[in-house]
Amino acid sequence: MSPLNRHRPESGYWRSLEQLAATPEYQELAAREFPDGGGEVEWTESTRRRFLQLVGASVALAGASACYWQKEMIAPFRDRPEGRVPGIPRRFATAMELGGWAAGLVVTSYDGRPVKVEGNPDHPGSAGATNAFAQAATLELYDPDRARAVLRAGGDGAVEETDWAAFDQWAERHFAGLAGRGQALAVVAEASHSPSLERLRARFAERFPGALWATWEPVNRDEETAGCALAFGRPLRPVNHFELASVVLSLDGDPLLDHPDAVRQARGFAARRRPEGEMSRVYAVESRYTTTGAAADHRLPLRSEQVEPFLLDLEAVLAEEHGLEVPGGVHGRNLGGDRVHDFLAALAEDLAAHRGAGLITVGPGQPARVHARAQRLNALLGNTGRTVEYLPAAAPIGVNGLRQVVAGLNAGAIETVVVLGGNPVYDAPADLDFAGAYAKAGERIHLSLYRNETSRASTWQLPRAHFLEAWGDCRSWDGTVSLRQPLIDPLYGGRSELELLARLVGAEAVDGRTIVRRTHGRASDADWRGWLHDGLIAGSRPAPETVRAGELPPPALAPEQLRDRLGNGELELTFHADSTLYDGRFANSSWLQELPDPLTTLTWDNALLVAVGTAAELGVAHGDLVDLRVGEVELRLPVYVMPGQAPGSLAVALGYGRTAAGHVGGLVEDEVAPVGFDAYRLRTSGALWRLGGAGLAPTGLKYELATVQDHHQIDTVGQKGRDERLAEVVRETDLAGFRREPDFARHLVHHPPAKSLFPQREYDHGHQWGMAIDLNQCTGCNACTIACQAENNIPVVGKEQVLVGREMHWIRIDRYFKGEADDPQVVNQPMACQHCEMAPCEEVCPAAATMHSAEGLNEMVYNRCIGTRYCSNNCPFKVRRFNFFNYNEELKGEENKVKWLGKNPEVTIRFRGVMEKCTFCVQRIAAARHDARVRGGEVGGNDVVTACQQVCPTGAIVFGDLNDPDSRVARIHATPRAYEMLTELNLHTRTRYLARVRNPHPRLAPAAAAGHGAAAEEVHHG
Amino acid sequence: MAEVAARELPESIKPPDLIQGGEDFTSITNTVARVAEYKPPKGWYIAFGIAVSVLGVLLAMLGYLFWKGVGIWGNNQPVAWGWPIVNFVFWVGIGHAGTLISAVLFLFRQQWRTSINRFAEAMTIFAVMCAGLFPAIHVGRPWLAYWLFPIPNQMRMWPNFRSPLLWDVFAVSTYATVSLLFWYMGMVPDLATLRDRATKKLPRLLYGVFALGWTGSNRAWHRFERAYLLLAALATPLVLSVHSVVSFDFAVAQLPGWHTTIFPPYFVAGAIFSGFAMVITLMVPARQFFGLKNLVTMRHLENMCKVIMATGMMVGYAYGVEFFIAWYSGNKYEGFVFINRALGNYAWAYWTMVTCNVLLPQVFWFRKMRRNLVVMFVIAAFVNVGMWFERFVITVTSTSRDFLPSSWHYFTPTLFDAVILLGSFGLFFTFFLLFCRFLPTVAMAEVKTVLPEAHPGHHHQPAEVER
Repeated sequence: MSPLNRHRPESGYWRSLEQLAATPEYQELAAREFPDGGGEVEWTESTRRRFLQLVGASVALAGASACYWQKEMIAPFRDRPEGRVPGIPRRFATAMELGGWAAGLVVTSYDGRPVKVEGNPDHPGSAGATNAFAQAATLELYDPDRARAVLRAGGDGAVEETDWAAFDQWAERHFAGLAGRGQALAVVAEASHSPSLERLRARFAERFPGALWATWEPVNRDEETAGCALAFGRPLRPVNHFELASVVLSLDGDPLLDHPDAVRQARGFAARRRPEGEMSRVYAVESRYTTTGAAADHRLPLRSEQVEPFLLDLEAVLAEEHGLEVPGGVHGRNLGGDRVHDFLAALAEDLAAHRGAGLITVGPGQPARVHARAQRLNALLGNTGRTVEYLPAAAPIGVNGLRQVVAGLNAGAIETVVVLGGNPVYDAPADLDFAGAYAKAGERIHLSLYRNETSRASTWQLPRAHFLEAWGDCRSWDGTVSLRQPLIDPLYGGRSELELLARLVGAEAVDGRTIVRRTHGRASDADWRGWLHDGLIAGSRPAPETVRAGELPPPALAPEQLRDRLGNGELELTFHADSTLYDGRFANSSWLQELPDPLTTLTWDNALLVAVGTAAELGVAHGDLVDLRVGEVELRLPVYVMPGQAPGSLAVALGYGRTAAGHVGGLVEDEVAPVGFDAYRLRTSGALWRLGGAGLAPTGLKYELATVQDHHQIDTVGQKGRDERLAEVVRETDLAGFRREPDFARHLVHHPPAKSLFPQREYDHGHQWGMAIDLNQCTGCNACTIACQAENNIPVVGKEQVLVGREMHWIRIDRYFKGEADDPQVVNQPMACQHCEMAPCEEVCPAAATMHSAEGLNEMVYNRCIGTRYCSNNCPFKVRRFNFFNYNEELKGEENKVKWLGKNPEVTIRFRGVMEKCTFCVQRIAAARHDARVRGGEVGGNDVVTACQQVCPTGAIVFGDLNDPDSRVARIHATPRAYEMLTELNLHTRTRYLARVRNPHPRLAPAAAAGHGAAAEEVHHG
Repeated sequence: MAEVAARELPESIKPPDLIQGGEDFTSITNTVARVAEYKPPKGWYIAFGIAVSVLGVLLAMLGYLFWKGVGIWGNNQPVAWGWPIVNFVFWVGIGHAGTLISAVLFLFRQQWRTSINRFAEAMTIFAVMCAGLFPAIHVGRPWLAYWLFPIPNQMRMWPNFRSPLLWDVFAVSTYATVSLLFWYMGMVPDLATLRDRATKKLPRLLYGVFALGWTGSNRAWHRFERAYLLLAALATPLVLSVHSVVSFDFAVAQLPGWHTTIFPPYFVAGAIFSGFAMVITLMVPARQFFGLKNLVTMRHLENMCKVIMATGMMVGYAYGVEFFIAWYSGNKYEGFVFINRALGNYAWAYWTMVTCNVLLPQVFWFRKMRRNLVVMFVIAAFVNVGMWFERFVITVTSTSRDFLPSSWHYFTPTLFDAVILLGSFGLFFTFFLLFCRFLPTVAMAEVKTVLPEAHPGHHHQPAEVER
């Protein structure tokens, strides 16, 4: 009998062989509820441990259950759009409007994502270059802080998310009610020169007769237009032709950077700064150091209010010594001092000698009467029609429109305000108290890219389409009309100002394309397509007007009074548009926040610029927090002691201190502190640009200013060391010296022949890439820095990291002062990896992570880099940048996914612990190679254009194949003016600089060239 | 003959015996072995508690470092190497005295070394451990630090043999290996002594395993001494090579202030200098606590003070020559670096270094000072500080202001820099205290060879009266 049969269970069924066998183990098992391991919980020592083991294991395994890739569907196009190949970038012409003036752009789009902005080469205003603002447009487009939804604020302040349909329904009813009585309606719009907007505005005036339309632009050139009206009897805007000007006088302005036409003007300027060809002579008289002042041959720091007397003096000298006939007579000499006299004499001589080839420009901050006098002088000198043309302009509204709106609101007459873009709650003149008046309107509708200060005070907060998302048209300063075509559907369902306005005026067409198309209704389809392709409407430039110089009203102050007011120790305060944030609208752009100011190199802040002597008199030092008092208003901000600032003149940039910019620029609601200090609080409608009687009280507190250069005030030893080597670093001479010895730069440093420890590699075949940078052309505008950032996915690091010295820009503009601290000269030097053939970085990297390519590029192999940072130590130019932290952490998080769209897919995003640096845009070289291969040809010597080269308004940067003798770069390298940096280190750099050549007036020359001559002599013969 | 001559020497100039207090073979064994056999004094527990806590802080900091990145330190552009590399060179320098005492003095038959060599060798091992830590953690991606080693891989990717950093990896790892072997091999007879004296099972087992079956036979001694001599000969060039190679990290770079041919000898002298200072720093309290006064006598300490003074002056000479060459070369970048060191924004660090390294050791000209425990302890501590500053001055001031003035930047350390340096002392002392507790801190077998009893004919002389 089998043992299995012995204990057959009574039921006849058995659960297992063990049961059948009725082993004691089974008996026990059956008696227990759970099998072993999951047994009864007895809280003894051993089971507690077991319990914890199980808990630990289940937690660990619970995580494992999530170890799946997220499922994503990738669907191919069912019908591929014609001509579109996935992964191949496409380029579209469009335009960006800033301050009412257009810049023609070509935007590169990868698979429907615009990622890189370039200038439109066919556009007369840009000619292929852009300013820094346009470069940062893609970051703005993909900013997660952008307004994302239609919001409706109730009376109790509660904000509720709704949609466009709800708004449209409400608006139709509401505006139908206003149709007859326009007095109850006001529009506050940004400046614009869009033909479509003008058309809709006419419709608006028809539908709402009596409605106020106020244009408010905190940074404007209204005074210039008004000045032209004063001088020539009608509002005009001068279009300057620096390319035709042999003598330029810039009065308290920055035509090379802070001007709607700066890109074109800078190009024109550069065309006349070629010592091998034509050299213009540039004079700058200014209160604040500007890039134009830095580029000038002679610069005179003068208080802003002294520009008028200076101009009067110039008239007097021209009349008295050069026989210029000034209608209405001159007003005597007002300014004293040898320096001013010599300056004036030289300037007047040059202007008189170059009638018809001189050019006088005035900055936006000067009053209309100064503009009038300067433009009249242009006319008297015969410059009009040659170096300066006048185009018709609308009469400037200035603050008046806004003032009327505020008055209407305060009187209770205006019930509904529509704010199209802009941010008047933040940037309106402080004395108007726009915010207070605005709150009185029953309905406040704000169309805005961001939920900014004005949005938050509005009852309807409407998301605005970015310019890369919307149709439109706009005019550039030179008069050309550009078409703006979208590259992507609105990310957050925003509408353009045209689309919103079309609905408000009850137009039948409400989509942007139709609106714009109808504005240019007479155009054929072929024309339209041609315009879209070109990005501009050919022949849309209006004809320049002819002007005649007449008499001017006498200056506001009599000469004696002017003289009395000078030098009495009173401080003046001037405002200027920030070089990176403009009027504050770019405050949430981290690229622009971290972009150093060209002269102060300040990032992430504005500061009160104080002259060196003035700071000493006032007893304040760099970085001191002071209370700046103007009338009743006090603003606490840090002092930046600025060499070359006019004595007694304080300057502060607008655009900082935003309380509702976003998570970058300041968002008080989310506890993000404002960046910088809000100078608008001091700005009144009577003194938009300059005011007197500023007081300054030290607080005893310090503030850390994050500059990318001279992080700490330099000691005398450092100062001396810097001065000693400056002549070798940035080599310069004057025109006479250059003509005498064109290759002076190559003889500035002599050293014994250098030998290498290791065999030198031959780079004699294939493409050998190199770069040339012309220091005579570079104005230090910084566009290259940000173009590089956009092209190469360079992260921003934030103020704290800049303070430590860890900014990541691959190309930086070194700025050096020369000479006296009160009145120094400035030289700029763009500095990026020099791609040394005998690269010191390569030799010391233990991981072999930085190597030379056969085409002569010093390449960084990111995934081989372990981050010893030895390469950086051994780099004589310190152009290597290290990811001390994961600076791309901002890409984490669901809300930041939109940022991914803006990254250039051709460039790796670097992880922490890895070194990076300029690659000579190796991805563009690869693209050119690919194109050539498809074409079946060879990459030409000029075929590759780096991002910095492409954006440079002056064309100071040239890139190409050094092995191709006909390439531009090879030719430039061969010119006598080209020099290599630090040749004594046997680097064989692939970047060469073209030495700077100044063109001083012979009588003023010794002062300008003294420092250099001595140093050069000493080194040369030493 | 020699003994006769010695006896005729006047008492005042006769060199005292190396071992004092009437120690004999037995008492030496007892003195040294007792430390390992009995519970240590309360002070040891306190010290060990502190050291382990500091080590814990170090480990926590390292965890944070790996989590956040090397940005938690003060390093920046242009000062890409900051405190971690300063600390590395500092610790490597300290690790020098061990090999020097063991190997070089052995070959030169400097018998006074026997009392302190074990101690110094242990210090070397632990200092090199601390040193090795820093390069590994200072890289941006420490989890890939092993790429510094030439490990065959599927990509056939070798490290860059032109890089001094790679030479450094070889030099330091060779030094660590040889030092460890030398230390351990020298300890085998003493471990056997501890094994034989051990009363408990576990110590007997462990000492037994590490004593490698030492029997004390003639053959064993013979081979031991042969091997010891060979290892000493092998280690001697390392004394020169390791710090020379460390100095190449700087000297081969082309940075002004680094690119200097004097660096190899200057670094070696500095390393010996700092190593001896550290031996004194550790030895003075240790001989007090563990009752080793008769073995580590005032004569030993005095000799070390002399070495400190001599090497201190070599270092001072190097400081001077650097300035001379900077001027003589006519290279303006080089000249600026040195003027900037002495008078620029890091002058405070430079003069701290000069004071600690060159001026203070001059007190050892006086015999009285050389024999004063407090003075020598304080001076040695200053030398340690000064030598740390020397590395700081070299590493930081040169990078802080190099060729282009636009990239000049002051370096400011962070709290993490300081805590990690402190933590490395925790690592060092944890191991050092464990060594003091469980291993023979004095080379018993070697010390016995310098006793008068070990000399042939000793018993034929009347016992000398110790002072």
